[in-house]
Amino acid sequence: MSSPLQSTPVVLVTGGTGLVGYALRHVIETELVGSRYGRREGEQWVFVSSKEADLRDPEQTRRLFEKYKPTHVIHLAALVGGLYKNMKYKLSFLRDNTLINDNVLHFAHATGVSKVISCLSTCVFPDKVSYPLDETKIHLGLPHESNFGYAHAKRMVDVANHAYKDQFGSNFTAAIPTNIFGPNDNFDLEDSHVIPALIHKCFLAKRNNTPFAVSGSGKPLRQFIYSYDLAKLLIWQLREYDDVEPVILSVGEDEELSIKQVADAVVNAIGFEGEYTFDTSRADGQFRKPASNKKLLSQLHDDFAFTPFDSALHDTVRWFVDNYDHARTGNVKGKEQLRDAPIATHTKVVAMNGSH
Amino acid sequence: MPNVILVTGGHGLVGKAIKHVIDTEPVGSRYGRKEGETWVFATSKEADLRDEAQTKALFEKYKPTHVIHLAALVGGLFMNMKYKLSFLRDNILINSNVLHTSYETHVDKVISCLSTCVFPANIDPPLVESKIHLGPPHESNFGYAHAKRLVDIANHAYKEEHGCNFTAAIPTNIFGPYDNFDLDDSHVIPGLIHKCYLAKKNGTPFTVAGTGNPLRQFVYSYDLAKMFIWQLREYDDVEPIIFSVGENEDISIRSVAEAIVKAIGFEGEVKFDTTKADGQYRKPASNEKLLSLIKAGGDPFVFTPFDSALNDTVKWFVENYDNARTGKEKLAAAGAARA
Repeated sequence: MSSPLQSTPVVLVTGGTGLVGYALRHVIETELVGSRYGRREGEQWVFVSSKEADLRDPEQTRRLFEKYKPTHVIHLAALVGGLYKNMKYKLSFLRDNTLINDNVLHFAHATGVSKVISCLSTCVFPDKVSYPLDETKIHLGLPHESNFGYAHAKRMVDVANHAYKDQFGSNFTAAIPTNIFGPNDNFDLEDSHVIPALIHKCFLAKRNNTPFAVSGSGKPLRQFIYSYDLAKLLIWQLREYDDVEPVILSVGEDEELSIKQVADAVVNAIGFEGEYTFDTSRADGQFRKPASNKKLLSQLHDDFAFTPFDSALHDTVRWFVDNYDHARTGNVKGKEQLRDAPIATHTKVVAMNGSH
Repeated sequence: MPNVILVTGGHGLVGKAIKHVIDTEPVGSRYGRKEGETWVFATSKEADLRDEAQTKALFEKYKPTHVIHLAALVGGLFMNMKYKLSFLRDNILINSNVLHTSYETHVDKVISCLSTCVFPANIDPPLVESKIHLGPPHESNFGYAHAKRLVDIANHAYKEEHGCNFTAAIPTNIFGPYDNFDLDDSHVIPGLIHKCYLAKKNGTPFTVAGTGNPLRQFVYSYDLAKMFIWQLREYDDVEPIIFSVGENEDISIRSVAEAIVKAIGFEGEVKFDTTKADGQYRKPASNEKLLSLIKAGGDPFVFTPFDSALNDTVKWFVENYDNARTGKEKLAAAGAARA
């Protein structure tokens, strides 16, 4: 095992062009150098995507580490997708994510990376579990069938972190975000999570002069975290958190919002004035699945100021409207999307998953 | 096209037992070889299954139609605790290579091997197949257990996405000829046999760790081998199946020790070192699913009586001491020391 002999810290962000990668880049580029969430003097940040290296391939991963010689890794890259794809490609979601994660951790270890932060998700928790979710409950039962392969692969990251720590003393840890939203999300109506889906649907309803119908009653409650806030928390974790145990990165349990509140905010931000309904014939999903952020708050010695939801949502909507032609909206051939084809010919979306 | 059955880990405790059964049962009988069938027993000398290319080459050489996948990195408590990552990663690599190569080369069926030791540490007895993933495994086999559980996860994923006929067996404690009798690494029966043998040879007391009170289920490797062959022929469910004697047929460590003393012909002092930890009192697993399915397809399963099986195992050990795995060659080519 060799250590990179360099005075320049290099932070490699895999999945660097996804929802969270984009947010990290934004924070690093706008916060003051040397400030709590800013770049450090002399530090280099590298944001890589699957175009540069297919992390399922050990050789490409090895070459990526050889090229950049990272001292730190924020590992966001994953094969993600909506319900339909998760159910249809169980093996691909399991195996591809297992390969990606194994390659990143293995080469991080082999090249003497000082620290790796990987990304789990609250969606990998057991389906049958007592609430609120906390970091001790991740492995207490089977995950929900709807993200079978993804969830098992992600849980294995936490298992591997412990094994690397135990055998080698590696400083590998993980973050567990709850539902993330923000600019540069995946707004593809087939695959997207609830906020980008509502934004895209409402945008189309306004453009096409059609009704905006929200699936379900609007009553279920969820916690949402703005990608820029999450990015700051990841930077905090990079600088100040050295425990192998993962940490949930979320707003508080008492800050859940109903889907209706979210939809109202979307309607407001889009400026939609047409027919706005809730299609109660559609299933709601679980009423609540709150996650506790107590551990996070106790570790952050100061209070963390989360961006107010309405403000964050407005900015996200504005980004979407301004960037519609370039955004991942799923309706243009040639864009990076996970298509309905055998895995060998897939063009991968390597992005951060926000859970449902 | 005649069957080619590839047995990985082919020279281990279970591999040797399967070979014994295949070589001795009548051709065409329920547990026997089929006419025209080829059985290949592969070892790590032939292919390091952690390596994708070597695994592919092995499959290319034999072109199996069926696989009984027994190969694994295994070890005792000390090794498992010291090399958590190796036990996790090496086993994941082996299992992933075998399953994926089987999928790519259109193998008809793969039976992998889990173990009752991968069940959650805190679970209400009896162990049944549906409880495998209901909590973390015992820390003492952390890496091994997580890797094995992933085989069951992968079996389901391959089934759902590609329709593969991949399944698994979950044996409880196995004993028999060709076991690993290395005192550092071995499981309870081979450990006690080896210790008693040395005690007799050296004229020293035979000391058993613990009180001798805990109860365990033990299955004779030759009986287990028949179950694997049954599963190969007659079981096509993705859900894994426990291979064990009955829930209430667990026996105390003390009775095991006494049977060994008798089989070895040891006449010295037998001591129970109660300063050593006992481990869990009982962890019975249910074999109801197994017995009912075997009976549904033919004659009920007949287990070899424990004393008879143990006697044969001891006799094998004594006669084969010089060639047995007694710790003279530490860790096979897939050594845990090479992290």
